[in-house]
Amino acid sequence: MILKFFEHIGQKTTDFFLSIYEAMQFTALCLIHMVQPKSYNPAMRMVLIKQIYFTAVGIIPLFIMMAFLFGSVIIGVVIALATQYNLQSQIGSIIVTFALNEFSPFFTALLISLRSGTAVNTEIAVMNVNKELNTLKEYKIDLIDYLFLPRILSGIVSVTSLSILFAIIMLGSGYIFTLFYMGMDLHTYQTLLANAVGVDNLLILLLKSVAFGFVTMLIPIYSGLKTANAYTAIPISVLNGMVKLFIAIFFIEVLSLVLQSL
Amino acid sequence: MLENIALIKEVHELLPTQEAQAHAIESLRLIDLEHIGPSRLNQCTSLEVFYVMVIRAMMAKEEVIFIVTPFFLIKKLARIEPVLEKLVLLNKEQKNIIILDNLTNQSHYKGDLCNIIK
Repeated sequence: MILKFFEHIGQKTTDFFLSIYEAMQFTALCLIHMVQPKSYNPAMRMVLIKQIYFTAVGIIPLFIMMAFLFGSVIIGVVIALATQYNLQSQIGSIIVTFALNEFSPFFTALLISLRSGTAVNTEIAVMNVNKELNTLKEYKIDLIDYLFLPRILSGIVSVTSLSILFAIIMLGSGYIFTLFYMGMDLHTYQTLLANAVGVDNLLILLLKSVAFGFVTMLIPIYSGLKTANAYTAIPISVLNGMVKLFIAIFFIEVLSLVLQSL
Repeated sequence: MLENIALIKEVHELLPTQEAQAHAIESLRLIDLEHIGPSRLNQCTSLEVFYVMVIRAMMAKEEVIFIVTPFFLIKKLARIEPVLEKLVLLNKEQKNIIILDNLTNQSHYKGDLCNIIK
């Protein structure tokens, strides 16, 4: 009984580390392909353009609306709290840090994960179950170059560009609230932001967006690839993929906070 | 279907998309199927899908093409002769086409354009 219990723990631990190893191997493989010029064949470029269109362009109206609604409310709360605690002198850096470093990339990553991450996970899982991936392999078409790399790159491009758009909208909303709470004019607000924004803020925004974009596509792809050979396994694959993706997004967010606090 | 066929030349010969699609249209035109170019898989009949698979195989570098159980791949196929004629039209590079089928379908091939080997 006890032996079985330890065997079970041992098996689970081995499986866990093995799956981590496989995932790391897949990530490394994708990164290697990303820097190889031969990966960028005409078919791949066409898929990449389409993916960017579906991931970043198609979502713009909804995204702007969401950014305006959520961004305004959040920045409003932050400004109201800063005013309440007499932090008016720090308002520029508070807005910049909150909008650029924290909220914009995080919210964008969540939105893209929900919209495109699920779609990519399902797409790859269906292709896997239908043996379409095997057909591509039979024709010696590299799956990483043709299927995975365009999606990963589109994730990086989309999350980064939409994060910047989100930050711009959020900073714009910030003006409305500073005007309302502090009676601040536009020129003062602009100067405040210009003095508060540093290269480090922009670097954090970019690095976080790239990291979020990368995992937003990589994890659903990997999850889709690991789908068992049955249609009933597709929802399970999407479910597992999304759970792993959200854990990864929160992990990156926490990691960035820890690194920033050092 | 056009993208599906063009993919082979885009990847293996690095042809630009437009050029690869022009090759695909040309092949479809040979068998009077250029109208299925913009269609998706669910909009095509099993016969049209079969021809797309054959064209794709023709575009690959391999010299031998295996077609396994065409009577299973193509629904309600009564005669293989028209299919074989179109295969001849498509086979400009004179590749070896080998059809593998069950002995129960042997009668379908008698007197046609192929050599039967048991």
